[in-house]
Amino acid sequence: MQYLEFKISCLEEYREILISELAEVGFDSFLETDEGIDAYIAEDLFDREAYQAVIDQYVEAASILVKEGMMAKVNWNEEWEKHYDPISIGDEVYVRASFHAPKIGVKHEIVINPKMSFGTGHHATTYLMLSHQLNVDHQGKRVIDIGSGTGILAIMAFKLGAEQIEAFDIDDWCVDNGNENFELNDMHSVKMGLGTIREVNPQGQFDIVLANINKNVLLDEMEVYGTLVKSKGKLLLSGFYEHDIVDIENAAAKYGLDLQAKKTKDTWASLIFEKR
Amino acid sequence: MAKEITGYVKLQVKGGQANPSPPVGPALGSKGLNIMEFCKQFNARTQEKMGQVVPVLITIYSDKSFDFVVKTPPAANMLIEAAKVKNGSAEPNRKKVGSVTWDQVKEIAEVKMPDLNAFKVESAMKMIAGTARSMGITVSGKAPWEG
Repeated sequence: MQYLEFKISCLEEYREILISELAEVGFDSFLETDEGIDAYIAEDLFDREAYQAVIDQYVEAASILVKEGMMAKVNWNEEWEKHYDPISIGDEVYVRASFHAPKIGVKHEIVINPKMSFGTGHHATTYLMLSHQLNVDHQGKRVIDIGSGTGILAIMAFKLGAEQIEAFDIDDWCVDNGNENFELNDMHSVKMGLGTIREVNPQGQFDIVLANINKNVLLDEMEVYGTLVKSKGKLLLSGFYEHDIVDIENAAAKYGLDLQAKKTKDTWASLIFEKR
Repeated sequence: MAKEITGYVKLQVKGGQANPSPPVGPALGSKGLNIMEFCKQFNARTQEKMGQVVPVLITIYSDKSFDFVVKTPPAANMLIEAAKVKNGSAEPNRKKVGSVTWDQVKEIAEVKMPDLNAFKVESAMKMIAGTARSMGITVSGKAPWEG
C-alpha cells in the first residue's frame, strides 16, 4: 500500500483550520511542523477533488505551498524492534525475538518477530492476558483469538495444549506477521484470517475466547463474544483501563458472562468471564 | 535523576484511531520509539473522542521511552460544529459561511483555555473569535465586554 504525502507550508493561524478541513475529507492524522503540517493518506482512500477544494479555498489567505510525495508502507517500528529486550511472564513463559538467545529450562518459550504488529508481551495488556491464560485450562480446547496482532495469545494457547485455534485481525500487515510467528512457533496448522469478528463470522462455539483490543470495540462486539463462548467456557478480555472495568462488566453481564478473575498492571486491566 | 528529553513530536490524530501508518509510524519510529505501544495508549486514552481530531504532544526521552499529553480539539473543529457549517470560507473577509453566538465562543474558549496562552476567558474568547474570522464565520451580537 502506498501513502500520499503532502508537506503543506501555511501561515501559523491557518494550521488548525487546514487540519480540521482536511480531516473532513478523509485525512486522519497530521504532523505539525515549523512550516505548517505534513498530511498523509492511504492512496486508495484519497479523494483528489475534495482535497483540492480545501487547498484552493485557503491557498491565498493562508499562503499555502504544497510539496507532494509518495511513501511505501514499510516497517516503521524496525528501529525499536532491533533492540528490545525479551520478557518473562512469571517463571513459566519467556517471550523473545529470533535475534535473542533461547532460554534454557523455561516451560513455554514464545518467539515473536513483531514487524509493526501489537503483542510482544511488553505492554501491560499482553502481559496480563498471558498471565491469565496460564490459569485457564487450555488442554484439548477450542480457542479463538480476536484482534490477534502478532498472534502471541494464540501461540500461548497452542503452547498450553489447545487443540483447535482460530485467529483474526483487521490489518493485513498483522495477518502476514501473525502467520510468520505461527510458523516460528511450529504452529503449522493455524492460519490467521483477515477481518472483524462480524466479517469473519466464525462457526460454532469455543471453550476459550481471547480479545485484547480496546474498550469501544469490546463493548461493540460483546454480544458476538457472548454467543461464541460455550456454557462454562471462558472469555478473556483486555485493552482497557481499570476505571473501565465497570462498563465492561455490565456489558458482559447482559450476555450471560460472569466476572471470574481480575488482574491489573500500570492502570490497565484484564478480566476473565465465565459463560453461565 | 530526571530522564533526558531528546525531542518533541506534535501530532494531530483522530481519537481512538491511531495506527502505525504515516505520519505516526515514521515520526515516532525514526526516533526508535515503540509505535505500537503509543497507538495502544493513545487509542485507550482518547476512546471518548472517537473520530474527533485530537492534538497530542509527545515527549521523547534518551532511553527511547515517551510520555504524551492529549490537548483539546482544534478551535476550528469546534467552530465548524457550533456554526453547523461544512467548512470555512474561501474569502473569509467577503464571503461569510455561517455565524456563532458569543455564548458559543465562550463555551469553546472555556474548553480551549488549558491549551491557550490566556489567563482570562475574555482573552481566550478573542482568540477563538479571531479563528472564526479567518474561517469566514461571524460572531453575532455584541461581545460581552462591549456592554
